[in-house]
Amino acid sequence: MRRLVDIVFLFKEYFLLLLYVLISVALLAFNDSPQIRTIRSLTLAAIGMTEEALGFIPNYFDLKEENKILREQNLSLTEEMIRLREAKLENSRLRKLLDLKEQTPFSYVGANVVGKTLTMLQNTITIDVGEGDGVKPDMPIVTDVGLVGKVITTSSGYAVGQILWNKDFRASAKVQRGRVDGILMWEGGNHLTLKNVAKTLDVLVGDLVITSEYSNIFPAGIKVGIVSKTAQAPGALFQTIEITPTADLSRLEQVFVILHTPDPARVALEHKPAK
Amino acid sequence: MTRRAGFYILLSLLFIVVDSTLIKFLSIANIVPDILIIWIVYIAIREGQVAGTTAGFLVGLVMSLMGTTGSMLGLAALTKTFAGFIAGYFYNENKIYNTLGGYQFIVLVALASLVHNTIYFVIFLQGSGMSWSESVLYYGVPTTAYTAAVALLPMFAFARKYLS
Repeated sequence: MRRLVDIVFLFKEYFLLLLYVLISVALLAFNDSPQIRTIRSLTLAAIGMTEEALGFIPNYFDLKEENKILREQNLSLTEEMIRLREAKLENSRLRKLLDLKEQTPFSYVGANVVGKTLTMLQNTITIDVGEGDGVKPDMPIVTDVGLVGKVITTSSGYAVGQILWNKDFRASAKVQRGRVDGILMWEGGNHLTLKNVAKTLDVLVGDLVITSEYSNIFPAGIKVGIVSKTAQAPGALFQTIEITPTADLSRLEQVFVILHTPDPARVALEHKPAK
Repeated sequence: MTRRAGFYILLSLLFIVVDSTLIKFLSIANIVPDILIIWIVYIAIREGQVAGTTAGFLVGLVMSLMGTTGSMLGLAALTKTFAGFIAGYFYNENKIYNTLGGYQFIVLVALASLVHNTIYFVIFLQGSGMSWSESVLYYGVPTTAYTAAVALLPMFAFARKYLS
């Protein structure tokens, strides 16, 4: 304190000048003459330029609070972004499903996948539509890109579907290009197998496989997958054909149930014992 | 000290009245001498920088309050504060009478007057479209010269009183 007083006394002339100048400027500021207004605008411009030039200097005491606010904002925005992204993806999926619905003659009911198993031998999905929505066992389940499976059990509001990765899954299919028929099944792994295709028949990697008209459960023409491998074991009568499904079963979120049931007359005839 | 301060105050008020009423009779082409600058410089040389600055501020403030500087309250206080400060910068306790009675007094009056007029015109002409540098040249410099010329009178009086 004493040191401060000594400094003030040492430079008393300058402190006094500063004091008088401040008082004079304060008195000038009370004026509302054009000169003062011009000086005020010049002063404001000078202050603005100085603040802009010194803007890089952080205010330490405000930084902590600012950081906290920014972190909260960041979290909130990240959550919103995730929600929006999800909505966008769902929108895209639903649009595709809607297009599918409009392009085919079948009746569909849309459903959300509320449960699924992908690691068992008898993998299934649970969907949130049931008898109340017109869903019955043996109705096909599809997405916009291909076959998923079929309904096996229903309740009033839910249904369980047997998907392609199920050892009990069977479907009559055909290679679209070569019109080669076979039986589609799953023997483990992440591909299907088209069985009973003779070695001499024309099947190439990249061929599209669809459901055939021989199936009573699945309407003809539903995309199933793409031929990913063909092999012919020496001495075997049939070739081994592996098919990669077009539907990504690990990312199922929305599906359609085709409101199509097997023709009862055909079923009865096929089950009638031969005489 | 108190007696001398009272003497300075009385004379200051007298000079303010003279400046605002009678000095216009000495005008040449609308240029008048600023006797208050001469008075402030005298106080600064006699008493020091603090006294000179304070005298300049108070004289200017009274002039502002009297309305002798137009509508700008505080302008005269500001300009005369600087005039007193600059004049007091050259204060030398051992050379008071030599300064008062010599050419240094004229130089200091001219310097203080020039600073005073420059600050005055820079502020006074803001927003008017008139060039302050031209105003300083056509009004400030002649006023400075006239004031310095008038300062010769007290200078000779001091020289006769203190140096002869």
